[in-house]
Amino acid sequence: MVRKFSAPLERTARLLDLVPYISSHQGISLKELSKVFKVEQTQMTSDLTTLWMCGLPGYTPLELMDLDFESGFVTIHNAETLSKPRSITFDEGVALVLGLDLLRSALSPERSDLLDRIDLLSQRLAGLIKLPSALSATSVVNQEVSAAITDALKSRMGLEITYHSLYRDELSTRIILPIEIVETDGQLYLSSYCYTASDFREFRIDRIQGASVQAGLQEIPKNSAQQLSYTCTIKVLTPTRAIAERFKQSELQVNTAFDFKTYSFQWIERSIMASGRTVCLQSPPDVRKSVAVMAQTMLDRYKAR
Amino acid sequence: MHTVSRKSERLVNLTIALLATKRYLTKTEIYNSVEGYEGTPETKERMFERDKDDLRSLGIEIEVGSFDPLFNDEAGYKIKQEKYQFELGDISSIEVSLLSLAAQAWQEASFGDVAQRVLLKLRSIGIPSDELSIPATVHKLNDGGQDLSLITKAIAQSQLLAFAYLDSSLKINMRSVVPIALSTRNGLWYLSGVDQEIQEIRTFRVDRISSAITASEGPSDFETPTGFDPSKALSDSPTHDFALIDVRVGKASSLRALAISTQSLGEWDQIKIPILSLDSLCSIVLWHGPDAFVQEPAELRDLVVEHLVALVENHG
Repeated sequence: MVRKFSAPLERTARLLDLVPYISSHQGISLKELSKVFKVEQTQMTSDLTTLWMCGLPGYTPLELMDLDFESGFVTIHNAETLSKPRSITFDEGVALVLGLDLLRSALSPERSDLLDRIDLLSQRLAGLIKLPSALSATSVVNQEVSAAITDALKSRMGLEITYHSLYRDELSTRIILPIEIVETDGQLYLSSYCYTASDFREFRIDRIQGASVQAGLQEIPKNSAQQLSYTCTIKVLTPTRAIAERFKQSELQVNTAFDFKTYSFQWIERSIMASGRTVCLQSPPDVRKSVAVMAQTMLDRYKAR
Repeated sequence: MHTVSRKSERLVNLTIALLATKRYLTKTEIYNSVEGYEGTPETKERMFERDKDDLRSLGIEIEVGSFDPLFNDEAGYKIKQEKYQFELGDISSIEVSLLSLAAQAWQEASFGDVAQRVLLKLRSIGIPSDELSIPATVHKLNDGGQDLSLITKAIAQSQLLAFAYLDSSLKINMRSVVPIALSTRNGLWYLSGVDQEIQEIRTFRVDRISSAITASEGPSDFETPTGFDPSKALSDSPTHDFALIDVRVGKASSLRALAISTQSLGEWDQIKIPILSLDSLCSIVLWHGPDAFVQEPAELRDLVVEHLVALVENHG
């Protein structure tokens, strides 16, 4: 974990960082400054009061920093010694290098001007923190899609999306109102109200193949249908990591069953097929039956070959 | 609150004094001139020692030296401006914008706090940034509660990492790895390193590490393998084995995504897929049900048939 500092150290770091920030934002309001540093306004006033007492040895008005904040707006003078931002820590450098790499994957290859600058910045940062180029971050989501999603979320507008459903294995066009981006098991989902389904749905962002912003959508119906969920009972025949991850189980034991909730029969059918001999679906009976029929149909085809 | 404020005040004053001085300051000079050192000589001594450690933990390096190298003088202290300051050389508005976007890519997780701090520093450089001028929407990075700090430090120092790792049959293996790279792809984190048991590069998914990671000093003769590209570690596994699979037109997209070539057969397409793992390919084929049919190799076909027989038996 990233280390947390004790209260006096946390405060010292803040005091040191306040000086360059105020120096480059002369006249910033006390309120704004508190927001930027994520502290209460009373704490900020107390910080500034402390800082006002600091300066070069001698501590006469000539050596103290000249800090004014009584008017509610903050200015600082005579603070040259601390006026440059502090050098970055190892963790901060790591955060920047990874962030830059992610940014690189989001830029169009035509912008070689920006890509070259990113490479140079990464090299300089890696030099500062003495870490060889060993970090990489990529994202494979379509840039136009992610731009449309960001726009729609910002302006509370709807989206028309072309979505590839993995378990139906087909493309569909839907009108949705995106609510938020959520992350589950390393995948990003767009939690939305879907007008096409008249219900709330989550869409995996990397499966959205096209998106365009739609204006003038109706409000979400208040009494929209409750999402129906089905409970399946799955017996473990051979514990594998694939089953544990697919059904989000932390522990698996041979010949024991667990319950799993799903919103889609198709998903569970395909998941059981993909798990092959390692699991057995005990209920619901109609999905059990369709798994058996599907497997038999496929088997007949392989045998006929 | 009072003691917090006194201590912070003293640390800030000490930093200013050590930054502003051109020559090394002795302890006596520090006690006499820097505000806040009070009490018996022993108390002052203890205070100063702790203050030095505290500033170091904030990333502020204090240099120790003496006035005159020819005489065995009392040691003195100072902080070098160039080490204290964020030095990126000449930097333009566009570069500040790029760095700001990079910092904003982090979500509010523990690394998110780190990113917030560095964003503040970037804003304090005094060069305006215009993130809207960069034509990119950046996804969010999330450390997912993983100890990225420990892993990256271990890469920088070629330390040895030991952890328990879940293999594909859910068995826990102890691994000893000298890490060389950390990468993230769509929210999952991967650690690549030289597995000490087999002396080969292996890549591990960090969320499959099932124990705490411990770091210790690495082998003294360790040399970082050259030419390893972390961004390709996940996609570049050379193979000479290929599968031929028939997939229905417009269907079986996850198999199509793996294909290196496609040949049209009318209602069906025949695709060629490099085999990295027979088990996982078999699982994807089964997922697509009657929309996919394995032609070659026989091993894959036999494996699919074996699973189908079990599925019929178990669910019939």
